Order: sequence, then C-alpha cells, then structure tokens
Amino acid sequence: MAVRRAGFFLIFSLLLLLWHSVTTFFDIPEYLFPRPDSVAGAMWEMVLGGQLYRNTIASLFRVTWGFYLAIVTAVPLGLFIGRQRYFRAFLNPLIQFLRPISPLAWIPMALMWFGIGDKPAIFLIFLSSFFPLVVFTISSVLNIKKTYLRVAQNFGLKGSRLYLRVILPAALPEIITALRITLGTAWLVIVAAEMIAVKSGLGYLIMDARNSLRMDKVVAGMVAIGLIGLVLDHVIRLLERMPSVEWSRMRR
Amino acid sequence: MAYQILTRLFPGADKNAVNCVKRLKNVPPESIALTLALVWLVSITLLRFSIDANSGTRDRLKVGYLPITCHLLLPVGMDRQVFFKRNVIPVKFTSWPDMIEAVKGGELDAAFILAPIALSLMDQGVPVQIALLGHRNGTGLVVSNSADIRDVTDLRNKIVAIPIRFSMQNLALLILLEKRGIDPNSVTRVELPPPDMPSALASKSIDGYIVGEPYATQAELMGAGRILKNASSIWPQFISSVVIVSKNSIRARKGLMDKLLKGLFAQGQWIETHRRQAAIIGARFFGLEPRLIKRVLLKKEVSYRNILPRSKEFQDIGKQMVRFRLVDRLPKVEIYNRWQ
Repeated sequence: MAVRRAGFFLIFSLLLLLWHSVTTFFDIPEYLFPRPDSVAGAMWEMVLGGQLYRNTIASLFRVTWGFYLAIVTAVPLGLFIGRQRYFRAFLNPLIQFLRPISPLAWIPMALMWFGIGDKPAIFLIFLSSFFPLVVFTISSVLNIKKTYLRVAQNFGLKGSRLYLRVILPAALPEIITALRITLGTAWLVIVAAEMIAVKSGLGYLIMDARNSLRMDKVVAGMVAIGLIGLVLDHVIRLLERMPSVEWSRMRR
Repeated sequence: MAYQILTRLFPGADKNAVNCVKRLKNVPPESIALTLALVWLVSITLLRFSIDANSGTRDRLKVGYLPITCHLLLPVGMDRQVFFKRNVIPVKFTSWPDMIEAVKGGELDAAFILAPIALSLMDQGVPVQIALLGHRNGTGLVVSNSADIRDVTDLRNKIVAIPIRFSMQNLALLILLEKRGIDPNSVTRVELPPPDMPSALASKSIDGYIVGEPYATQAELMGAGRILKNASSIWPQFISSVVIVSKNSIRARKGLMDKLLKGLFAQGQWIETHRRQAAIIGARFFGLEPRLIKRVLLKKEVSYRNILPRSKEFQDIGKQMVRFRLVDRLPKVEIYNRWQ
C-alpha cells in the first residue's frame, strides 16, 4: 500500500515537472499546449463556477444508467447463453458481429432515435458495455469447473436455484473483472458521446472550451476525466476484495 | 475498514455505536456492495435532476445554432427580448453533422444551418422550410502568413480547409478556383470544424481555409494568417446560413413560430445600428473573446439587413450544387414566408 501510494505521487510529480519544464523551456504558445499553472487556474475557475460539479454529475449519471442497464441485461443473458449450447451456436455469431462495431459508429442512429439529451448518451454507454459483458460472462460460465456442475447435479439442483447457488457464484470472479474492464470503456465512451448534441457533461465541457478557444480549459477537462477514471477504477477494485471473489485468486 | 476508521477517529466512542458497526461487519460484503450500488444510482439520479431542473421547458421552442457570427440573431434575441427568454431554448451544437442528425430526428423546431445543407435536407424529404437568412457576407478565405501565397493561383497543390462539403464556403472556393483557371482537383480540400481551423493554420497543417466569421478574423488576431478574399467579392450578397423551420412545428404552433421569426428578423435591424453592443452579447453567449467579435462586427463586412429569403437565390445555389456534384438533381426549394 505504501509503495503504491509513493509510486502514485512520484509519477504524477514527475509528469508535472516534465510538463512545466517542456512548456517553459521551448516557450510553447498557450494556444498549442497550455502550462500547468494556467490549467490549474482554469480548473479552479471551473470549480468555483460550479461548472465542474454540474458536468461531472451529468457524466456520472449517464455512465451509471448505461452501465447498470448493461449489467442487468448482459449478465443474465450471458449466464443463460453460456449454459445453453444451442442458443450459443445461434446467438454467438450475432454478438460477435455487433461487438466490434464501435459505439461511436452508432452516434448518428442514437441521435436520430433518441434525440438530444441524456438518452442517446446512455444508449451509447449501454452499447459499449453490453457486448463485452455478454462475451465475458459466457466465457466465465464456460470456464466453470465441471466438478461443481456435477456436484450440483448430484444434489438435484435445477432451474433458478442452479443459477443462483452454483453458476453465478462460480462465474462471479471473472464477471467482476469484466465489470472493471467495461467500466473503463464506458468512461472512455462518455466523453465522445457528450461531444455530440448534449448540453452538459465533461465531454461537452471540453468541446465547449475548444469552441471558445480556451485550451487551458480543454486540458483541465482532460485532467478531471483522468482523475475520475482513477477513482472509478479504485472503487470497482474494492469489489475484487470481496471473499466471494477473492477465492479464485487464492486458488492460484 | 469502516470499523477501524471509526475506532481510530473516536477512541472513546460509545460502546453501543461500536457494536453497531461491529454487527455491520457481519453483513455479507455482497449485500453491502449491492446496497451501495443502489444508493449510488438513486443519489446520482436525484443530483442530476436537482441540477437540471428543466421544469416548464417542455413546450418551449428548441432552436439549434453554432457559435458563429452568422447565428448572432439568436443570442441577441435571447438577451434583449422577453419572448425569447420565455419561449426559446437555444441548443448549441459544435459541428454540422450533429445538427443535421438532430434536424432529421425532428428534435428542433428551428435551426441556423448552412444553406446547401438545408437544400439537401429538403431534397431528402425532411419536412423543413427556409424562413430567414443568418446574415450576408462575413466569410473569408484565409491563407497562412508564412507560406508563399500572394494570390489565389498560389493555392495550387496546397491544402485548404472547408467547414463541410455542403457549405457555401466550399461552393465559393470552387467558383473562385474555376474563375481563376485553377483545376479544383489540384487543391486539396479537407473538412475541418471551424473552431479548429485557426490553430491548424498556426501549426501549419493546412495552408489556408475558407470559413464563416469569427474564425477568419481569428487567424489575423492570432497572427497566423490573413484574409486573402472576402466571400462578397466571389459571390455578391453571399449567404452562409439560413434559418430553417420544421413544418410540423409550424403546423402545431404557428403563432409561436411566427413570433420567433419576427423576433429574429427584428434583431438583425437592431444589430446594424448597435454593432458594439451586439458584439458584447455575442461574445458572452458564444464564449468567445469580446475583442474578436467586436473586430468582426466593426469591420462592417457582415450585414444583417437584407435577410429575407428569395427563392431565386436558392435556385442559383441549387444550380451550383448540381454543377459541383453535391446533389444529382436540382433540389426543390421551399420557403416559408407567411410569417412576414
């Protein structure tokens, strides 16, 4: 823990130092790459003006809904498909076909179907998380040790009880890892999704700053996104410390 | 962990409280995680709606725009007229394609949009009509200071940015090149969002660009380039954007829509006589530098006077679009003028 914390501070101090010295040494104009102090100033300005707070809430709101919707649909679907060979043969090609299409390619559709506002952004987040989650869940079900399933069979477990008592707990560690990865992508996509017609969010903040030719605010927005991403990753890592998830690591 | 923190913070804490926390330790972590996840969902949703309390905005008119001086009528209206404040929601876009999709999706009651886009939307059967012009002139061909470009003919084998294929700027550039006997294919045209153009010029990734104000004057202010030609010298009475109205909105709320158009028209007359004040309003609304907008408006190149649409002009634009293969056939132009 102490090592990690030290590493954290060291790397960010080095980055700041490098940033500061490069921009001052080469005398890079503000409109090409702003200095750390002007970015900090812009950040402070956005904190005081409440802009940062409002837009962060808007972004987190969209990510939360899109991500949650993806979880409640993708995980059950994945568990089910993972167990049913015929369904898998039938649905897998479709999922593999839709999965590589970047959520950003859906932007024109999303705008026309859902209009402007929260809905298209939530839809894009949902798409970005849904397919990877289904695929990860299927593979985690396929990776379940055959012994567990045989034991369950011997006890005569069937239907929903089989899913809740054996399959979900056995697949959970891998699902949690999948959640961590997809949350990262979701946060990545929100910025792009907000660069289209919404009037709030961190992506909008960057786009708006860019249109008003304020590079310092653009970089401040980027810093905010990175920091929140760091926090999100930290929070979801806590899930990996639950005993029902940690057992899989101890096995190794 | 919570237990440790609590005991450390309050060493002499009440035994009961500590027990309570201890009991919490016996709750399975999955339940805690699930509960926290739900609490988060509820609280972020509540927070979101407490901030964005858009109650009573449902029946207001949504008007799309971009932060360019061609769309200045809207901010001036928002600033000066109670009618706008009560009945209009300005929807800011950052790029043309996004606005096009919003129009196609029927999201907007009215929008400031490039004339060729409006024509091609009508051609595709999107139910919109042209009701007003944004302004006249106010577009410049900018070239880099450093490059050896003295004249239009020097643009051969150079890279010139345009806002989007379906723009009057693109048509004007093509017409200009043709007039000076330059093969349009010898000039590389790239599509770039207007706000990016000045910095792209400064970093020398393009040699020039043609764009609506204030992004032409911006290059001058930054010292990155100069305006080689104004659009008015290529195409007299140059139109850049028009105000389109949705036919459905006209049908459903003709009274409000007509008031909106009358209001916008009136702002044009006001701007003509109050350019300095208009610049300050525009700068604040668009989030741009006041001295930039002031410089643009005080040049008097842009005109907000003669902004009623005439079908003859749009037929000319349509002809040029066919000639330069932007559309296959002459688009049918629909003009809405029953508000006047």
